[in-house]
Amino acid sequence: MTRLPVKPGERLPVKPGERLPAQPGERLARDRVVGFTFDGRSVQGYEGDTVASALYASGQRTFSRSFKYHRRRGLLCCAGQCPNCIVAVDGAPGARACTEPIREGMRVEHLNASPTLEFDAMRAVDVVGSSLTPPGFYYKTFIRPRKLWPVYEKVLRHAAGLGRVARRHTDRAWRTEYRRRHADVLVVGGGVSGLRAAASAAELGADVVLVDEGPQPGGAAAQDGRHLTAGPLEEQAIAAGVEILTGATALGYFDGIVPVWQGRTLHQVRAQQHVFATGTIEQPLVFSGNDMPGVMLSGCARRLAALYAVKPGHRAVVATTSDRGLEAAMSLHEIGVEVAAVADLRQQSGVAAETLRKLGIEVLPGHAVVEAQGRKAVQKATLAPVDARAPSSERAFDCDLVVISGGFVPCTSLLCQAGAKTRYDPERGHFVLGELPAHVHAAGEVAGAEDAESSGKLAGLEAAHLIGMGDLSSRQEADELRARMAELAERLASVLAPPAVCGERSGKCFVCHCEDVTAKDIRQSIAEGYDSIELCKRYTTITMGPCQGRMCELQAVRLMAQEIGRNLSDVGTTTARPPATPVPMGVLAGPPFEPAKRSAIHGRHRELRANVMWAGDWRRPYDYGDPEGEVMAVHRAAGLIDVSTLGKLLVRGPDAGEFLDRLYPNRLSNLKPGRIRYGVINTDAGRIVDDGTICRLDEETFYVTTTSSGAGAVEEWFSWWLTDWDLRVYMTDVTQGLAAVNLAGPRVREIMAEVTDLDCSNEAFAYLDGKRALVAGVGCLILRIGFVGELGYEIHCPAAHGEHLWDALLEAGAPFGIRPFGLEPQRVLRLQKMHILVGQDTDSESTPFAAAMPWIVKLDKEEDFIGRWALERYSSDTPATTLVGFTLADGQAPTEGAVVLDGAHAPIGQVTSSRFSPVLGRVIGMAWVPAGLASDGERVTIADQDRTLRAEVRTKPFYDPEGEVLRS
Amino acid sequence: MSLGFLDVEAAVKSERFSPVARSPMERLARAAGGQFEIRDGWAVAVSYGSAEREAETVTRAAGWADTSHLGKLELQAEPELLEAIVASNASAPFELGCAHRAAGAWWCPLAPSRLLVVCDPGRLAPVRGLLEQAVGASDVPGSLVDVTTVLAALTIVGPAAREMFARFCAIDLRAGATPPGAVRPGSVARQPGVVLCEGEDRFTMLFGWAVAEYVWRQVDEAGRHLGAGPVGVDALRPLAAPVEVSSGA
Ligand code: FES
Repeated sequence: MTRLPVKPGERLPVKPGERLPAQPGERLARDRVVGFTFDGRSVQGYEGDTVASALYASGQRTFSRSFKYHRRRGLLCCAGQCPNCIVAVDGAPGARACTEPIREGMRVEHLNASPTLEFDAMRAVDVVGSSLTPPGFYYKTFIRPRKLWPVYEKVLRHAAGLGRVARRHTDRAWRTEYRRRHADVLVVGGGVSGLRAAASAAELGADVVLVDEGPQPGGAAAQDGRHLTAGPLEEQAIAAGVEILTGATALGYFDGIVPVWQGRTLHQVRAQQHVFATGTIEQPLVFSGNDMPGVMLSGCARRLAALYAVKPGHRAVVATTSDRGLEAAMSLHEIGVEVAAVADLRQQSGVAAETLRKLGIEVLPGHAVVEAQGRKAVQKATLAPVDARAPSSERAFDCDLVVISGGFVPCTSLLCQAGAKTRYDPERGHFVLGELPAHVHAAGEVAGAEDAESSGKLAGLEAAHLIGMGDLSSRQEADELRARMAELAERLASVLAPPAVCGERSGKCFVCHCEDVTAKDIRQSIAEGYDSIELCKRYTTITMGPCQGRMCELQAVRLMAQEIGRNLSDVGTTTARPPATPVPMGVLAGPPFEPAKRSAIHGRHRELRANVMWAGDWRRPYDYGDPEGEVMAVHRAAGLIDVSTLGKLLVRGPDAGEFLDRLYPNRLSNLKPGRIRYGVINTDAGRIVDDGTICRLDEETFYVTTTSSGAGAVEEWFSWWLTDWDLRVYMTDVTQGLAAVNLAGPRVREIMAEVTDLDCSNEAFAYLDGKRALVAGVGCLILRIGFVGELGYEIHCPAAHGEHLWDALLEAGAPFGIRPFGLEPQRVLRLQKMHILVGQDTDSESTPFAAAMPWIVKLDKEEDFIGRWALERYSSDTPATTLVGFTLADGQAPTEGAVVLDGAHAPIGQVTSSRFSPVLGRVIGMAWVPAGLASDGERVTIADQDRTLRAEVRTKPFYDPEGEVLRS
Repeated sequence: MSLGFLDVEAAVKSERFSPVARSPMERLARAAGGQFEIRDGWAVAVSYGSAEREAETVTRAAGWADTSHLGKLELQAEPELLEAIVASNASAPFELGCAHRAAGAWWCPLAPSRLLVVCDPGRLAPVRGLLEQAVGASDVPGSLVDVTTVLAALTIVGPAAREMFARFCAIDLRAGATPPGAVRPGSVARQPGVVLCEGEDRFTMLFGWAVAEYVWRQVDEAGRHLGAGPVGVDALRPLAAPVEVSSGA
C-alpha cells in the first residue's frame, strides 16, 4: 500500500472528471492509493475500489470481449452477476472485476481477445461470420470436409473458453482451505433482511452464520441511501454473536450442506435452518445494441456512484419499467450527469416522473429504448413508443450512457436447489417463490416482501423457533409479523413486464450476454423444433454461461412464450443446479487428502534406502536396491521382511470356531490351540476373494490374518455376517496395532537363539505351530509359516515395539548374513513356491478348484459354509481353465498379462505372474491354461508383445516341491 | 495363549534388550524439535524446547501433543455387562456419546456392545485388572483387547482447537454439541477415528496407528495457519478433577 499525502476528497492522478466528491456511504479510503496494472498499463485507485471501479474511473469502458462474436463488453451489473467484466488476476482467469478489490501490485489482464482488447482479430466473426455460427452450429457447420476437422478443431479451441489456465502446475496451484462449519441457522445474503434475520435468530440463542458476496454487508441498502440502516443492523448481528462472512459466495445446496467460497477458503456450512435473503436481480432490456459498453443496469450506475464515487457517464438516457429507473435518473442528475431523456415503458409514470420533469428532465411514458449505437461505446440511443399502434415518433439522443431497468426478479436459484418451488405471477411479471420446505425460509425481496426488516425478522424468528428456541413472546411477535407481511403482500402494486424484445433494428439484440445468444437465435431454435425451454437451453446454450440464467432466463422464457403462443407458466423455467456461481475447480478440489498407511517400521526402511511403493493404501519397500541379492540372502542365509501390512483380526467368543467354519470352506473349529491352518475366503458364488492363515490361540480365540490389500474387505465381510448370525463372537481388527516381520532362511534358528529363550527346534516348534514368547524382550506371537519357501518365522508384536524388534533381529542376524528384503524379492520367492497372490493370479471368477486348490474345500463338513452350494457344483465339473506354473528355458520373463496361445495361435489363457528366479537360473511363472494342458511337461506358447515364447507347464512348486525345506 | 503380544507392558528389560515403546509420530515430533523422555516404557515428547512458548501456544491458539502412549482397552460384551461395568467403575450410566472420567481413565461407550477405555499409561494395568475381573465374574461372554497400539492419539488443546478440527473433520464439535465428556466416533481426516472432548477447548483424537504420520501432517497443515503448533505432553494441564457428566450426544 502506498500512503500518499492526499487529503480526503482530493483527486488522484487518474483521468480527471471521473471521480465524484466523497459520497455518503462510499467504500473508499481516500487517503490510501493502490496501484496495479491492467494489460501492462499502470492504474491507480483508492483502497476500497474494485478493479472495475478503479478502471472505470481511469476511463476504461471496454472490459472484455464477448464469448462468440468478440464484441466489446462494458460494465452491465457491477454486482458480480453478468459475464461482462471477467478478467484474469495475477494469471488466474475468471475473476469479476466489479467484485475483485484492488491490491497493490496486482496484475489484471483481459480475457478472450487477441492480440489486444482494443483490437481483437476474432471480431471478424461478428462482422462477417455470423452465418457460420447459428444456434447449434456445432451440428451444422465445421463438419465438412471431414479432413479439415483438425484445422477447425484448432480454431474452435482457440476461440472457445474464457481465458487460459497456466500451463505449468506450479503457476496454477493455490491453496484452498476447507473449513467445516456447523450452525443452527445459515443466512445467505447480508442485505437489510438478511442482517435482520441473522440478528433475530441469534438473539434467541441460535448459532448463526451469515454469508454475503459483497466486501461489506448491506446489499442494495448500501447503494440506495439506506447505508445508515445496514450499519447498525450489522453491529446488532455481531453483538448477538453472528459470524459474518463477507466476500463469500454460497455455491449451492447439497442435501443441507452449503459450500461457501470465500477467497482461499471453502466453508462447508451444515445448518439446521436456512434463511435465504438473496434479493433480486435487475433484468436488462432486449433491444438492438443492448450489449454495447455504456449500456448498463440502473443498479450498476448507482453502485458506481454511491459506493465508489465514480461518475458513470456525462449524458444519459434512461429506460425503465418501474420507479427504480426513475430513482436512478434522479441519482444521476444529483451527481451531475445530464439526463437527456427517460423512457418509461409504463403508460402512467406517477409522482417520481413529475419530480424529474420539474428538474427539466424529459420523461416519455409508454416509450422504450429500441436501439443503442456507437463505435467503441454507446454514442446514441433511440427511443420509440412501446405500443406499435402509437404514431411512430422515434427520437434519437446523443449520450454516452444508457441506463436500463427491466424489472427485478427474485434470486431463487439456491432456494430452488433447496427444494423450493416457483410459479409465474402475472401481477409481478416474473416467477415468484411458492412452497418452501420446512427448514428453508426466504426473507426480503426474494420473498417479494417490500418491508425488508420485518420480513427478515420473521424469517429469523421462525428459523430459531423451529430448532426449539424462543419463548411465548417471540412466538407472538412472529405471529404479528406474519399477519403484517400477509397484509403488505395484499397491497403490492402490480409490476409491468416489458416486451420480450423492445426493439429490433439493424444491430443484434442479445437475450443472453454470456453465450452471445440473440433473439433471432431463439426464434431459429424454436423454428427448428426446440420449442421447450429446456431443449432451447441445450441447443442455444442460453442460461448456461457465467450468469447461470440470472439475466437471460426470464427474457428467453418471455420470448419463447410469445413465439409459441403459450403463457409463461406453461413454458416454465430451467432447472436450478449447483454451482449457482462459477467457481474454480481448484476451490472445489480442496486440499489433497491422501491417507497413506505406514508400518511402525517404515522409518527404518527409509533409513535403509528402500525403494518405497504403494501397495494398496500402504507405503511399502519394493526392494532395498538389490532384489536378486535379497532373494539369494533368503536362500543362503536369512532375510527379514516387514509384513505388518497383513490384515489381522482377533475372533473371540464361545462360537468363534463355528463362525469361522461358516466363513471358510475348510474346517477350523477342530484346530488345536497353538496350531495354524491356511484358509481361503470365498463369495457365496464360490469365488476366491482373499486368503490367509488362522492360528488358534486358545479355545475361544482365533488370530486370523488376511492379505494386505484385502484386510478392509475381509473385516467388513466378517462384520456383515456377524451381524446376521446370532453367534457369541466378538471381533477386533488389530491390523494397525501389530507390527509383523517374516524372518526366513536356513540360518534363522541360529538368529532366533540370539533373541529368544524359546526352543525353536523342529521338534519343539513345528511347521504350522504358533507360540507366544519374548523376542528381544518384547511380547510376541510367533507363527511358523513360510510364504517364501524357506524355514521361517512370522513374528508379531505391538506396533510400538516394531522398530525395536526389527533392529534386534537385524543386529542378531548380522553375523549370519541377514539382509532385509522387499516386496519384489518376496514375489520371486513366493512364485518359486507357486503360492498364489489373490487378485493377481486369481480374478473375480476364480474358484479354489480352478486355482488348483481343491484340497482346501471340505465338502464333507457337516456345517453349511459360504459358497458351499456353488463349490459343490464346481467340484463335479472340470474347470475350463486351470492355474498352472510354467518355466522358460531361457529369455526374459514375459509380461504379466501376456497371452497364452494354442497351436492355431488363438488365445487360450493368460500369464498372471512371471519372474526370473536367480536360484533356479530360469524364468518361472504362473498362467491360466485350458485344463487339458494342466499336466507337467505340456508345452504352451506365450505371445508377449512382439515375442513368441515356448513354455513348459509345471503343476508343482518350482522350489522345494515336497516342502522339506519348509518343514525342516 | 494370552493376548500378551498386544501388550506393550509385556516387554521385559534385560541386560541385552531395552525395549522402548515408540509412537508412530515420533520421527515427525523429533523433526519439529520434540524433546523426549522415557515414561512408563514409552518415548514421550514432553516438550518442544520452551515451556513458555508452548503455554502461550495453547493459550493463544492451539497446541497438539502426541498422546499415543495413552492406554486403550476395548471391551466388547453384552450391553448389560457393559452397563454394570461403567456403573460400578465410573458411577455413571452407559450412555452412547457420553464418556465419564474415573479411576484415571475415560470410559467411552462407542456402541451398545462396545466400550473403549482410555487411560493414563500408568493406569493401564490396574484398569485392565478391573475389567478382567468384571468379565471373569460374569457369566456372559466378553472380549477385552488391549488396543493401545491399534489407536494413535493426538490431544489438541487451545481456543483454536475447534477451528483446527474444522479443517479436517466434519464432526460437530461446537461447545453445545460436543461438551466436555462427549465422545464422538467419526471420520477424522477421512480416516475412522474417535474424538473425545476432555474439557473446554481440549480434545483427544484417536485414529489408526498406521495413518498417524498422515494425520499429523493434516493437523500440522490445519494448525499452521491458525498459529497452532506441536507441544509436549507437559504443556497439557493434568485432567485432575473429574469432568462433569454431560449428555451432549
Ligand atoms: S459488471 Fe461485473 S459481473 Fe456484471
